[in-house]
Amino acid sequence: MRNKSWTSATGLMMVVLFATLMIGGLSSCKSKKKLAREKAAAEYAARVEQAKKTLTAILDGTSGWSLDEQQKQFDTIKTYNIDDPEVKDLMVKVAEKLKSEQAEAARKAEEQRLRDQEAAKRKADVEKFKPLNDAFSQIAESETYSEANQRINNTLSLFATSEVPVLIIIDQAQGFNDYDRPTTIVKFLNYLKDMKAYSFAVESVKKDAQGKITELELIKK
Amino acid sequence: MKKLAPVLLFFFVFVSAGPLLAQDNLSPARKQAIDSLALEKVRDLSKYITIIGSKTTPWSEANRVMDRADELFMPGSQMGVSSLLHPKIQYYTVRKYFERLMRLNYSKVEIEWYKINYVSDLQRQPDGTYVGVITIFQKFKAYDKEGRLLYQDTTKKDITVYVKRKQTQIQGRMIGFWDVLLGDIRVKETSK
Repeated sequence: MRNKSWTSATGLMMVVLFATLMIGGLSSCKSKKKLAREKAAAEYAARVEQAKKTLTAILDGTSGWSLDEQQKQFDTIKTYNIDDPEVKDLMVKVAEKLKSEQAEAARKAEEQRLRDQEAAKRKADVEKFKPLNDAFSQIAESETYSEANQRINNTLSLFATSEVPVLIIIDQAQGFNDYDRPTTIVKFLNYLKDMKAYSFAVESVKKDAQGKITELELIKK
Repeated sequence: MKKLAPVLLFFFVFVSAGPLLAQDNLSPARKQAIDSLALEKVRDLSKYITIIGSKTTPWSEANRVMDRADELFMPGSQMGVSSLLHPKIQYYTVRKYFERLMRLNYSKVEIEWYKINYVSDLQRQPDGTYVGVITIFQKFKAYDKEGRLLYQDTTKKDITVYVKRKQTQIQGRMIGFWDVLLGDIRVKETSK
């Protein structure tokens, strides 16, 4: 009898234990999903907040990133597809800012390219026209009239005639040159002899089929 | 043709007025370049006067330099000459002045111009010419054969300068240039 009651008590306990385990398991599964949802919501909220911070920093110019880095950050935020009015508004503003800054950077880069190109041309011109510039300097540095006249005659042999036109640029602006009154090579060489100074640089020369100079363009230094 | 008329008028007004506008509204950089050019011409004249006056300059060189110096001036321009020995200021055409300077009866002549500056900036006149006044100080010293100083004075002179935009044809193409011409040179004061 005693043994029978013990058996039924054990069975009851087993049922209670099983029920507890079942209920506990179910409730644990439910809370895991909830936790995952909450976690996802928290992550999304953090991402929105981070996006706002990043976009605001780019907009204010306080990010400290290069233009490329700013663009990368912007592109990453774009992939999040954040559905937040404030973020959307910031995205529009940042897109405009980056577009305008990229255009400005491109303009500056082009200006720099042209400056570099001009500098390279000048450097090449300095080499190309060095013999001519040296000849002019030597006339200006002559100690005596006879020495200067000898150098003038030597230099004149490089020109087609002694009346070859000489144009002197006094200023370059808005895409055109401002010139002094044109002169001739013989007058210019004598001018160097009189002034005892050569304060120009050869800008361009034109030559005939014999390689003689037919037009000389100088720029004031 | 009637439809074309406004277009043609537009081209006539804007294309032909282009160079004119370019010279009317001179940028500060362009104006400065022209100011410097005019000052440079006065400095050139200063050198030429030194060469012409110097007794060591060969006659042929002095004559050539006189021609170059002459080209710096408006036709008929005059040069004022003063002396501490005579109260009256004499005016000669610049060519006459250069010739007299070359023939001065001293063994050695030194002429130096300094403090060359604008006293009145270049101002645009209704005809498009820019006119200004540049002042200079001239130190004149004359010596005898033994190198003794016989005469010296310092003269302040005002030079009127005219700058005009002109065009000329060089090897088939039109070149615009700024023509600087000097006018009368007036004596302002002479001192020892």
